[in-house]
Amino acid sequence: MGEVILTMKGIDKTFPGVHALDHVDFELKKGEVHALMGENGAGKSTLMKVLTGIYKKDSGSIIYEGKEVEFGNPREAQSAGIVIVHQELNMMNHLTVAQNIFIGREIMSGKLINDAQMNRKAKELFDLLNIEIDPTEKMGNLTVGKQQMCEIAKAISHEAKVIVFDEPTAALTESEIEELFKIIRDLRAKDMGIIYISHRMDEIKLITDRVTVMRDGAYVTTLISESCTKDDIVHAMVGRVIYEEPKVKSNVPKDAPVVLKVEHLKAGRLVNDVSFELKKGEILGFAGLMGAGRTETARAIFGADTKESGDIYVNGELVEIKSPQDAVKSGIGYLSEDRKRYGLAVQKTVAENSTLAALERYMKGLFIDKRKENEVTQQYIDSLKTKTPSTDQLVVNLSGGNQQKVVVSKWLVRNCDILIFDEPTRGIDVGAKSEIYHLMNELAKEGKSIIMISSEMPEILRMSDRIVIMCEGKKTGEMLIEEASQESIMHAATLRD
Amino acid sequence: MERIKSNAFVKKIGFNRLVLFLVLLLMYTIFAILEPTFLSYNRILSALNYAYFLGFLSLGVTFVIATGGIDFSIGPVMFCAALISGQMLTKMNVPMVICLISAVLVGSAFGVINGYLVAFWKMPSFITSMASMMLARGIGSVFTKTQSISWPQSSQENGWFRIFVKYTIPGTTMALPTGLVFLLIIAIICAIILNKTRIGRYILCLGSNKEAVRLSGVNVKKWEMLAYIICGTLAGIAAIVFVGAYSTVQPGLGDTYNNDAIAGCVMGGTSMSGGVASIGGTFIGVMIISLLQEGILAMGFQKDWQYVITGLVVLFAVYADVRSRARKN
Repeated sequence: MGEVILTMKGIDKTFPGVHALDHVDFELKKGEVHALMGENGAGKSTLMKVLTGIYKKDSGSIIYEGKEVEFGNPREAQSAGIVIVHQELNMMNHLTVAQNIFIGREIMSGKLINDAQMNRKAKELFDLLNIEIDPTEKMGNLTVGKQQMCEIAKAISHEAKVIVFDEPTAALTESEIEELFKIIRDLRAKDMGIIYISHRMDEIKLITDRVTVMRDGAYVTTLISESCTKDDIVHAMVGRVIYEEPKVKSNVPKDAPVVLKVEHLKAGRLVNDVSFELKKGEILGFAGLMGAGRTETARAIFGADTKESGDIYVNGELVEIKSPQDAVKSGIGYLSEDRKRYGLAVQKTVAENSTLAALERYMKGLFIDKRKENEVTQQYIDSLKTKTPSTDQLVVNLSGGNQQKVVVSKWLVRNCDILIFDEPTRGIDVGAKSEIYHLMNELAKEGKSIIMISSEMPEILRMSDRIVIMCEGKKTGEMLIEEASQESIMHAATLRD
Repeated sequence: MERIKSNAFVKKIGFNRLVLFLVLLLMYTIFAILEPTFLSYNRILSALNYAYFLGFLSLGVTFVIATGGIDFSIGPVMFCAALISGQMLTKMNVPMVICLISAVLVGSAFGVINGYLVAFWKMPSFITSMASMMLARGIGSVFTKTQSISWPQSSQENGWFRIFVKYTIPGTTMALPTGLVFLLIIAIICAIILNKTRIGRYILCLGSNKEAVRLSGVNVKKWEMLAYIICGTLAGIAAIVFVGAYSTVQPGLGDTYNNDAIAGCVMGGTSMSGGVASIGGTFIGVMIISLLQEGILAMGFQKDWQYVITGLVVLFAVYADVRSRARKN
């Protein structure tokens, strides 16, 4: 490790309603791989976005190569030598490798693009990194691993001095990870500063020199990778004081009947042999880090995506779910994490959305019975305390919390007994949040069974009767609320085999 | 302005539709001042001839556009239906009733094909309907061996079918616009389907957010396909009133009517991105285009001025739609 190349001091950033970064400090040396760790929403990405000029900081300072800097946009940061290799690759699949690497700064001869020259330059970059990629290959034909190598080559071509890797191994195979680590070590040997964001504990020991842990937007500690243990890191990640009382005891009797049983469910990379049971009146929390496969599991159960194999039993009977239609017939309702895309027709009214899943029950012969429709809509507006001037209001005009209530009412109108809430409080303000919690508890008390997918640890501990934990498509843990703690959940959520 | 907008009657009809209707009246007044023959009954009947077939086309395509799709095949499908049924009537001596039913069924068949490809095979409606437009044009020509077909006049045998367009009181020259009544009845049925039944509800909702409707457990493919079938069927009906008004169909034509039909629909406030549609608006839009067509001809301008004006009006209508959406987000 050499001298310090980058220092971030007292970085503060507030978004409406959220204190995203609370006076965060961070330091990076030349020839160092520095891990940045924390739960979802701890502020890692926000910090990197402030660094590269995507967000403007409210206060604090960034000192880069001895000078205070403030980048207006990622392009400025790039030309100064700070680049991010994103988790989701920003590549154009129809262009060649070389064209992708030089996009926006094509090598020209006169007014024409000089592809031959770009291919030569790309080849030189790959040689520098010791990787074998044909610059004239179409990007779409490469594996994810190779595409990532191209991103790295692109970063190098900007004469980067600081490279940020945002969960680089999430989509890679074992051998691709090996190769990536070799490249990272090479870069380190060339005195570059590397910031490494990852959820994988074992990689931290393997590749990084220091670890900085963040929690709830604040700096927690910086540890030396060699001398710290996994427990130290987990403890630092979750060691928050929880203000909201976690649930102490499950409300569900031990002998409550099983309403939903999923056995050996498989669907793509992120749903790999998942089995679990859901009991009547239970809130079953699904915990895990981003990309653990929880949403994918829910969508496979609901028939939104096709499953490869696995059996689903509702009330003890094997059901064939091939489409959302089948799922709804079996009494399953799914509330997506992305309400606007998957939950609502926002240009339509509250009433039209509320009866969308059960319209056939509100017919008078061939015609929709508007009176009955308005009645039932109003009934749920009252019971869920949805704030809307009328049943004819367009959903687009409601706030996030009230839109969520409209989605809930859609499934209640349908009278679903099994409800899957995917991130039920995402993008909802604090007041509406506790109303949604209250609502879920009420529903469970009435005998509805709820699967609640949540990335927020306090939410999981506050709401769940039992918790299933997933990591990279597999179920890695299951515990009753009585046995659960932040540490035990985080351990299971980072458990790779 | 706000007071007018919040008036109960205006709200019920829709402010935009009211404005559109005033535009229609204004246009008629201007034409009548510039060209007094516009006050004559025959001139009005002649303008209506254009409105009949265009009305059916436009009503049909309203359903497709409400789903967020488009159908460029309706004009040629109408011609194809008229040619096939006309050939059956004049060359094969098939009874008139069966010919008329066949015309409608030809339209429906194209609707089934378009709808199936778009809804079940997820083919883009733009390309699908372009392809079926060529199919319709080709099949019509092949079936009649590129001969134009003349349907019987009202005085001739089998001429009774013209009652769908106009009825001349026996012994007088007085003609009643029965076509307008026919069109109005179908328009009212369409409005009921769109606003009061599950068909319309699902079509509008899936035009607004198809994935959300699918995830609500609705069979979106079925309802989306149905929109195309309604559209095709109405194009088949349009064939009947077209020959009722103009007697002769030539193979290889019909494309230009697509544009007029879609223009009428968009002018009436149906959003090209789907989810919002108005049958009343479509009806008035069709009247405006028909009046424009007749007016420009009557005043001795070159016919193509109609396209210039219609083009500008459509641009304005789409611009207004995009603007109002941008404001909402």
